[in-house]
Amino acid sequence: MPTATSTTATATNTSTTATSGILHRLFSTDQDVKLKALRQLKNQIIGNRTKKLSFLKLGAVPSVAAILAEAVLADDGDRNNSFNKNVIVQSAAVLGSFACGFDAGVQAVLAAGAFPDLLRLLSNLDEKVVDAGARSVKMIYQSKLAPKYDFLQEKNMEFLLSLLNSESETVSGLGASIITHSCKTSVEQKILFDAGVLKKLSSLLEGSLSQKDSSLESLATIFKDNPEVVLKFVGSESGRALSSIIELVKDKFARTRLLASLCLIVIRNTSPCYLQDIAVKTKLVNTLLELLGDPGQVGDEASFALSSLIVQKEDMQKLAFENNAIDKLYCHLQKDSLNPRRFEGILLALADMCSKLECCRSRFLSSQVLNSVVDAVAHDSADVRSAACICFKSVARSIQNLSAGSFLTEAVVIPLVRVLDDPSTSVQVAALGVISNIVVDFTARRSIFIKCGGVKQLVQLSKSMDAAIRLNALWALRNLMFQAESKCKEGVFMELTASLLASLICDPEPFVQEQALALVRNLVDGCISSVEYVFAEDGIILDAVGRQLQSALKAEIGIQGMYVLSNVATGEEFHKEAVLNQLIPHAETGSQAYIIKFLQSNDSRLRTAAVWTVVNLTNSLSPGAVDRLEILRGAGIVSQINNMQNDPCLDVKLRVKTALGQFKTLDTCLSHTFLWRLPLAGYITLLSFFFAIKAV
Amino acid sequence: MVDINLKKKEGKRNYLVFRESEINGNEGGDALMSLFWIVIRQLAEIEATMATSKKVITREEWEKKLNDVMIRKEDMNKLVMNFLVTEGYVDAAEKFRMESGTEPDIDLATITDRMAVKKAVQCGNVEDAIEKVNDLNPEILDTNPQLFFHLQQQRLIELIRNGKVEEALEFAQEELAPRGEENQSFLEELEKTVALLAFEDVSNCPVGDLLDISQRLKTASEVNAAILTSQSHEKDPKLPSLLKMLIWAQSQLDEKAAYPRINDLSTATLEDPAV
Repeated sequence: MPTATSTTATATNTSTTATSGILHRLFSTDQDVKLKALRQLKNQIIGNRTKKLSFLKLGAVPSVAAILAEAVLADDGDRNNSFNKNVIVQSAAVLGSFACGFDAGVQAVLAAGAFPDLLRLLSNLDEKVVDAGARSVKMIYQSKLAPKYDFLQEKNMEFLLSLLNSESETVSGLGASIITHSCKTSVEQKILFDAGVLKKLSSLLEGSLSQKDSSLESLATIFKDNPEVVLKFVGSESGRALSSIIELVKDKFARTRLLASLCLIVIRNTSPCYLQDIAVKTKLVNTLLELLGDPGQVGDEASFALSSLIVQKEDMQKLAFENNAIDKLYCHLQKDSLNPRRFEGILLALADMCSKLECCRSRFLSSQVLNSVVDAVAHDSADVRSAACICFKSVARSIQNLSAGSFLTEAVVIPLVRVLDDPSTSVQVAALGVISNIVVDFTARRSIFIKCGGVKQLVQLSKSMDAAIRLNALWALRNLMFQAESKCKEGVFMELTASLLASLICDPEPFVQEQALALVRNLVDGCISSVEYVFAEDGIILDAVGRQLQSALKAEIGIQGMYVLSNVATGEEFHKEAVLNQLIPHAETGSQAYIIKFLQSNDSRLRTAAVWTVVNLTNSLSPGAVDRLEILRGAGIVSQINNMQNDPCLDVKLRVKTALGQFKTLDTCLSHTFLWRLPLAGYITLLSFFFAIKAV
Repeated sequence: MVDINLKKKEGKRNYLVFRESEINGNEGGDALMSLFWIVIRQLAEIEATMATSKKVITREEWEKKLNDVMIRKEDMNKLVMNFLVTEGYVDAAEKFRMESGTEPDIDLATITDRMAVKKAVQCGNVEDAIEKVNDLNPEILDTNPQLFFHLQQQRLIELIRNGKVEEALEFAQEELAPRGEENQSFLEELEKTVALLAFEDVSNCPVGDLLDISQRLKTASEVNAAILTSQSHEKDPKLPSLLKMLIWAQSQLDEKAAYPRINDLSTATLEDPAV
């Protein structure tokens, strides 16, 4: 292949020479040569990212900025020099192209100090110069790197209004772009409204294509999360402006339809009381579904717009469902060579569709979408992988299908376990989310997950440096432990170890602590043998639980911790004593037992958990119950529970009643016969003794 | 949006609101529409009377109905002007403006620029066309990667057509390969184009149609449309879509009635219904 190599070499050489040749000629003293070089540079870089980058590296931007600055000065001296004007137009176009869709270019243009010169062009008398300047400044304002425009300064606001009022489409479009870029706070939204910007923008809705589009974008920016401004806008001129936005949802240009829809979605999400008309809602849903078919950027963005329309809104999800959203989204998902952005958007829209309604999930599962989603879990793009997991998680909320064990198959589990190793944290977190859902299983198919190495992975991730990953890994393990059979628990516990669990209970992040406690709660739930887990390694888990409860700031931690103790207290005498020791510290420091604090908490869930523990400790069938009751009484817990007879929460009230009943029985028990005091364990020993004799 | 009043046989007035995206916005579209409306009206009437068998409408009845429709001459002229402007017949548009007094909805000078670009592509001077577009508005090619790719592809095709193999290879590598990396579908198109180099007899190879003149026309019309859109002008004239609607409306009416149909669109003569 020697020929091919040499061709490449020549190609690179010629192009480098051509590149540096242009730059060289930019500095020519011959004005004609200079102007030609500018034009040539412009034609090289427009539409060509690679060329932009290579010229940028060669330092073209500062050179062109210098030419612009010089020409602007010269123009001040001689306003009728048309040659000079052409230099201005060409250099502004070059700088604008560097800034177009290319952040490194924006940065370079700003660093070269060209921004003020470009702004000055806007007040030039020559229409072509103004146009070129406005176009370039607009390019800069379409990047997030553009300097923030300060609306609070009066002269800035005047300038902005003059831009919006301009006859030139490019200039008024620039005004709108500045708003879209820089209006962030509610104060800015308000001040723009007060300055009459909304009125101006509404009038642009009647203008040309580009005016409509840029106006719709700015309007959405001014409305966003500001109900006050929305209220004033909708109320003005009896809603004429609002109706014209609604009309634009039916515009013939796809991009205008999308932007109008987005604007209405912002209004809806800001002030849910508006746009409740079913016809408008249906039109929005159908427009967005139809825009999914657009081959360009509009089609890519349509699914994201659909998501923002339906997210967290059951009524909108239902409406979309009735308009076949699931089928339509699936249809687009099946297309070949989807670009990653579009793929991601469709998956996220499906996720939102399936987040609440079972009908959507069953429609989803009855088509073959799940297969495509599982395939997408292994996609090249991290955003797609993450979106696929989020979508799957949403579908896996279906209790009906969880009960049927639909998700725990090797075809599903293997790719999910594999993606736990993903280099991207957000993908890992999303995958853990799916696993958390699918391991809640009622059909004893958890073994498939364990067989695929899932538990090992989860335990590994629970040691991650990233708190979000620890949190979600523990969450998945917690759900895996939910009503699990003892063999499964044993396997997980062996992998986790008592010391790791204890250290996770004491994690620096409260959210992680909560999940670790919840995991232990599920671990010790059920048969007595599982209670033993918290006593492994000298009871370090139980000690950790006690320590966290002592210092618990969040109610959730108290709740999970108390349920751990409550579950342990269902065990044998020895277990109950250990719980009591955690509740009431031996060395009386004079401080109040934390359970009192929990019993007095404002959170009824925490009160319930605390009373449950007391109920389990004072179960009148166990021999030590009477003594434990005395200790509890001494710590003021009995009298506290006595005070809770009329608790506003029914659940608490019921447990309190049980506890008080037990207290009463125990108090009377003192005078009862031997048999009553014979503990349950005693009966069992007697019985087994009896059977043993029979067997012999 | 077009609103019309329908008169039913009972004398009741019925308000029909019709919307068609392609005729949106400009009143110029209303003129030829009237014929279309007659058909629509007829359709509504027939549906209203619930005719069980096909209704026959004689030529006299039909012509009377046609004569009842008022079409403003200005609207008709606007429609013609829209066609001339969009298709870029600048001289004809200028003449028509002087004769009919119809103002074009776009600066006629911009048409000249647009036509120069279009012509350059049609003649195979793609580089020249690109420079002209960039002079007109640098944003067009900077924000439209697909169009930019197609122009560059056309440039490559022209190089291959002229037998400049080395230059073509260099150009493909330098200019087009990076675009292919950015976009999968561009890569496929690029592969197809480069495949031209592999064949001795290009006129007889599977990708030979790229060298066809129709490829140039395709690219030229894509540029033309992009320039029109950048000038906030519709990229297609209204006339063809009106004709499409006429055909649609006639075929709808065919199911309900026999009437004097227009079969030859170029002469627009009414033909007697076959009874």
